[in-house]
Amino acid sequence: MSDGMNRRQLAVVACAGAAAALLPRRGDATPPAVGAPVPPDDLPAREASWYKKLPEGRVECQLCPRGCQVADAERGGCGVRENRGGVYNTLVHSLACTVHLDPIEKKPFFHVLPGSQALSYATAGCTVECKFCQNWEISQFRPEQVAATYLPPEALARIARDNGAPLLSATYSEPVVFWEYVRDTAIEGRKLGLRSTVVSNGYIQEKPLKEVLPSLVAMKVDLKAFSERFYKEIIRGELKPVLKSIETIKASGTWLEIVVLLVPGLNDSEDEVRALTRWVKTNLGSEVPLHLTRFHPTYRLTNLPPTPLETLERAWQIAKAEGLAFAYLGNVPGHPGENTVCPGCGGQLIRRVGFQVMENRLANGRCPSCARAIPGVWS
Amino acid sequence: MGRAISRRELAGFLGLGLAGLARGAGAAPRPPQSRGRVGLASLRPGAGGGPLDSAAAERAVSAALVACTGLATVRDAVAALFAAEDTVGVKVNCLAGRGLSPRPELVGAFAALLRQRGIPPHRIIVFDRSSRELSRAGFTVRRDGGDFLCYGIDNDYDREPSTSGEIGSCFARLVSTTCSALVSFGVVKDHDLSGVSAGLKNLYGLIHNPNKYHDHNCDPYVADVLNHPFVRGTLRLVILDGVTAQCHGGPACRPDAVWPLGLVAASTDPVAADAWAWRVIDAERQRRGMPSLEAAGRPPRFLVTAARYGLGVGDPAGIVEVRA
Repeated sequence: MSDGMNRRQLAVVACAGAAAALLPRRGDATPPAVGAPVPPDDLPAREASWYKKLPEGRVECQLCPRGCQVADAERGGCGVRENRGGVYNTLVHSLACTVHLDPIEKKPFFHVLPGSQALSYATAGCTVECKFCQNWEISQFRPEQVAATYLPPEALARIARDNGAPLLSATYSEPVVFWEYVRDTAIEGRKLGLRSTVVSNGYIQEKPLKEVLPSLVAMKVDLKAFSERFYKEIIRGELKPVLKSIETIKASGTWLEIVVLLVPGLNDSEDEVRALTRWVKTNLGSEVPLHLTRFHPTYRLTNLPPTPLETLERAWQIAKAEGLAFAYLGNVPGHPGENTVCPGCGGQLIRRVGFQVMENRLANGRCPSCARAIPGVWS
Repeated sequence: MGRAISRRELAGFLGLGLAGLARGAGAAPRPPQSRGRVGLASLRPGAGGGPLDSAAAERAVSAALVACTGLATVRDAVAALFAAEDTVGVKVNCLAGRGLSPRPELVGAFAALLRQRGIPPHRIIVFDRSSRELSRAGFTVRRDGGDFLCYGIDNDYDREPSTSGEIGSCFARLVSTTCSALVSFGVVKDHDLSGVSAGLKNLYGLIHNPNKYHDHNCDPYVADVLNHPFVRGTLRLVILDGVTAQCHGGPACRPDAVWPLGLVAASTDPVAADAWAWRVIDAERQRRGMPSLEAAGRPPRFLVTAARYGLGVGDPAGIVEVRA
């Protein structure tokens, strides 16, 4: 790019522009500061909700399982929470670096209001560091390094409502790092009749998860693999807390979908896929949607090829053979694996191409042919 | 020799030697073998915590450079380390603000020595992560004019990450692109996670994502930053403002843990400079009846790794102090 603007800056500017376009027009009651760019050297801080104070001005973060103990003037591993004189602060509440209207299928949620728009938002930061992160230009940077727009929860909710989106979705980077913003936006959204969803890696402690789940209609968890080794070496996280989060979400009644990105040679073996799908069936039941999606080389894994289609199809067959009723393929537009099929009669219920719903035959959440109930959030 | 030298260590020795040859292009004298050698010069804090006397600051920096290089004069020392054609980046650590950052008087004295070497002011760049931090520490931010430039990285990082060992980071373009020589100008302080924050932890300010690399006492990550070609190939010198130091409660300034160490330290062995800092911090902790950094659960493990990489002497017992 001749002007020296890098992809990250371009993405941010584009997102800021999109957010501005989505904002209510001048003349309404929006305070002037809403929608304004946030100076990177003067980030507004507000006290975090989940931490405890330790002796000598240190704090322990109680949001993600990393449990960072943070000295004064330092930040947690997420890079967005800072100890200032013994008070732990979030530096990203209301600082949206990305705002888009997306089809809900893009998250992907396949069993949540098919064909609906979700006002999708994110801040900088992440709890882990996936070497294949598709959004590393916001997730792996600190808030002062990413241009952001000041959009408090009520503003986000209004943008969604004014643009006809019934859903809000915290996504793109890692919503756990802006969990207070997620919570408050869900509350504001509910006042306007909107429902909130979250797309997360599930690397969160039980207490903050349980506190916010009642405000959410659905949560999608990226289950990165089914081995601690992968989590340690490729994610810089842990598998066990993620599995616990998934069980917590399922038990809460909040709708749950799971995505597994199959990375060639790293987590795509038949044994691992089989173990993962068996765990899902055993611990969550057979009707939790499982999306097996295609990897594309990026960030620090540019040396690997995209996931071969045959690998995806093999994994899909394993998931179905293990008894999962709603196994899907992702990032393969037009593949039959994108469609929802009735586990009762085998009839096609929802036909999709990429993020577009081409046909939806569901009737009141049931198969029109055999009347089998299909789990999900349909109305 | 107790054990065979590894290929990696051999490469490290050769690398240091080659760097010396490159910087010494021309007739400038080269420093003798300097592994493990830390030059020390005395300098008392300013009266009442005020600024240092500028002449005393220049004398101390000069003396520390002479002591660490073993050369006859500061002119020889600077000439051995920097060419007139260099663009020198001086990374300071201003996270703790005015109370525990490299003093502008000392940094200015060092910049003056670079100018005397023939390096023009616009090719001497004092920098930290952000201009705001520099201002808070008492530096005058300027992108032109003055005796040297002084500004923050301010988000000017490489567009793509690069990998060194366990780290994958976008480096400041000042380091990857602009500067041909790098100086780490740190302080001597305790760090809650890494144990020691002196010359090497200061290098975390070169990457965009240091928050990702604080596990396990920052090991091996600090060593991996140092071992990255952008750094390993350009880091010529570490200078530590030890006029005052902090033995506990870092990285923020904690006045009750600050003591008047009264020294400026310099070393061409970046690992040794930190090992020395470890030694003096532990000595002060012992004097105060506090547990050692290791006993407190934060030994600077990255020094062992850096030494294993062949980047210098990481054992405090192996440090040779040379007092001016």
